[in-house]
Amino acid sequence: MTRRMRAAAIGIAAALLLTGCASDPLAEQYKEGSNKGYIAGDGSVTEIPEAERGESISFSGTTEGGDQISSVDFAGEVLVVNFWYAACAPCRAEAPDLQELSAAYDGKGAQFIGVNVYDQADTALSFNETYGITYPSILDVQDGAVKLAFTGTVPPKAVPTTIVLDKEGRVSARILGQLKEASILSTLVSDAIDE
Amino acid sequence: MSRPSDYVDAGARPQAEGPGDGIVQPKLGFVGTLRFIWRQLTSMRTALLLLLLLAVAAVPGSLVPQRSSDPNGVIQYFDNNPDLAPMLESIQMFDVYGSVWFSSIYLLLFVSLIGCVIPRTKHHFQAMRSRPPRTPARLQRLAAHTEVTLEGGNAGTAIESAHALLKKSGYRTELYQGRNGDVSVSAERGYLRETGNLVFHSALVGMLLTVGIGGGFGYAAQRVIVEGQTFVNTLLDYNSFNPGRFYNPDDLAPFAMTLDKFDVTYEQKNLNAYGQPIDFTTRVTMRLPTGETEKRVVRVNDPLRFEGADIYLLGNGYAPKITVRDPEGSVVWTDSVPFLPQDGNLTSLGVIKIPDGLDEQIGMIGFLYPTAYKMETGAYTSTYPDLVFPVLTLNVFAGDLGINDGAPKSVYELNVDDMTQLSGGESGVDSIELMPGQSQELPDGRGTITFENVNPDAGAPADQDATTTDYAGSVARFASFDVHTDPTVGWVLTFAILILGGLLTSLFVPRRRVWIKATDNADGTVRVEYAGLARGEDPGLGEAVDALAFRHGTALGLQR
Repeated sequence: MTRRMRAAAIGIAAALLLTGCASDPLAEQYKEGSNKGYIAGDGSVTEIPEAERGESISFSGTTEGGDQISSVDFAGEVLVVNFWYAACAPCRAEAPDLQELSAAYDGKGAQFIGVNVYDQADTALSFNETYGITYPSILDVQDGAVKLAFTGTVPPKAVPTTIVLDKEGRVSARILGQLKEASILSTLVSDAIDE
Repeated sequence: MSRPSDYVDAGARPQAEGPGDGIVQPKLGFVGTLRFIWRQLTSMRTALLLLLLLAVAAVPGSLVPQRSSDPNGVIQYFDNNPDLAPMLESIQMFDVYGSVWFSSIYLLLFVSLIGCVIPRTKHHFQAMRSRPPRTPARLQRLAAHTEVTLEGGNAGTAIESAHALLKKSGYRTELYQGRNGDVSVSAERGYLRETGNLVFHSALVGMLLTVGIGGGFGYAAQRVIVEGQTFVNTLLDYNSFNPGRFYNPDDLAPFAMTLDKFDVTYEQKNLNAYGQPIDFTTRVTMRLPTGETEKRVVRVNDPLRFEGADIYLLGNGYAPKITVRDPEGSVVWTDSVPFLPQDGNLTSLGVIKIPDGLDEQIGMIGFLYPTAYKMETGAYTSTYPDLVFPVLTLNVFAGDLGINDGAPKSVYELNVDDMTQLSGGESGVDSIELMPGQSQELPDGRGTITFENVNPDAGAPADQDATTTDYAGSVARFASFDVHTDPTVGWVLTFAILILGGLLTSLFVPRRRVWIKATDNADGTVRVEYAGLARGEDPGLGEAVDALAFRHGTALGLQR
């Protein structure tokens, strides 16, 4: 074995050991065994520079009000897609912030759309009433079409997940888990509008 | 691994010391001590001991629930054994396979095996290239020995044919000229035995490596799906997810799986096993982002392989569809809630949480009895797992479900600390009892609750006393799935085959040396000697030498 090979081997072994020892939040969550029934996020934000964005995403579905909506209806607007369901504790906690932002950006270049991953229409409507939510949510529990449409390069990896789609429908930012502060999302949305 | 102490070049044996001198041990020194430890560690005996120890150390992992496979079981264990659990925790009993002591055993085993295999491989390689040893002078001293005197011919031709015969039998041969005018062929066979042995050991190391590190590249995840609903293979959509150490969840293959129908067949002929499930058939539709769909079936022990993921059927149960209306009669909540089976007749326990739409949040703890039977105590039990006479009983609680501030709560438990009980138990109000299609008022005029009959062909709500109504299909079922990938299975199989093959070869291939020596006698006859030496256990050696002598005789045209 040459010296360089040996050094490389030691490097690889060390890398394996280090990744092995670092605690993985996803694995920790599993070991908690809280039976909460969903994968939680830590509020981490991923921003994707314009040049590195993937394919544009299009989706459609039926809302809790029974309307058909499609991403095409909002072409040219920034879309904020929030994956949620009513009994998910962090989704409830962030709901007022989302409603506030959705009202603030209404007619100013950004549209909020919820994607309800578990509930039926009536349950979602009651949630809307509790938190005064005015933006529509697509019910995705029966056919999963919207979730499938988002399984691209920047997939939603927790409940809740908030994804910002730029004017061309490409993922420009993603927040995994409960929104820590409304201002974070606000900045992401206004950046996407100003591009 | 060590050679016997009386091997030929061991030197003179130590003479007994004179009395009074005592035993003087040589000083090992630091390097010597290290060398001593290394020798001990890499000895076969230590390796076997470590292997045994590894098996023993794996036992606690099956006695105590493990975080890696059953995190809820660990929490239960802590609840049930509040004194014992922290003690076990301190010696890593809930993470046996990642614990310091378990890791030390297998790491030592690794080092031991590698330290043993490498020098042996080197030695074996040299042995394979060396020539069979010189023929001993006195063959009659060897354990297996036989002798024939031939009339006519000469030593040269006898050895030539012996040489050919041995070569044909798979021996490595070498011709030698003796000092007393004799000629001989020295032959050795059975190198495959050591090769097999080395393959066995190397494959064992490979197997340990594959299982130890390779497992880190997979994942195992769980998801409950109610009939008619769809699961998408993304992290977002799992109930729980256990990644391997090196697994990146971004690599999940994108696909959707819809649970179309879950069918169970129950035993109805054999009264001793009446009601036992005989067969589960899970009909699913798989869908790719491209829009392609495919109908598939998942059965117990017959996983569905799709896009690199193995989907196993884990469990099943009922998911009664409940609708709650507010006092004005408008629907505020509706869902099919998976109830967890508690016994073989599918008495099922579920928790229903109504977070929105009513004055106060409502939580309900419910029992579903697929075939309800009222016992003398007044309590229900289920006597058959299928839907013959389904009854749902609910205890209602009102208050704060504790989910509004963002803290996660178990979906299978109701924390009633901040809630008041409205029905059942000590509340003084009877529990709510419903059959499919029936509705009842919630206590205190909080609204109504309906146990929906999901069978589209169902007629009007049945009378409580009617026993003729067919309730088949009135309650939806759910199935839980375990989705996982394990990139190591192919390697594990390969190494398992190598281990077995190596072991069998090393057990059944005899390693032996054989010599045939021919000497021309003064009277014109030829004396041919046959002798064999076993290397290791070889009960068939004598027979083998006799058989060789016989075949050689036949080859030389000996009349019998």
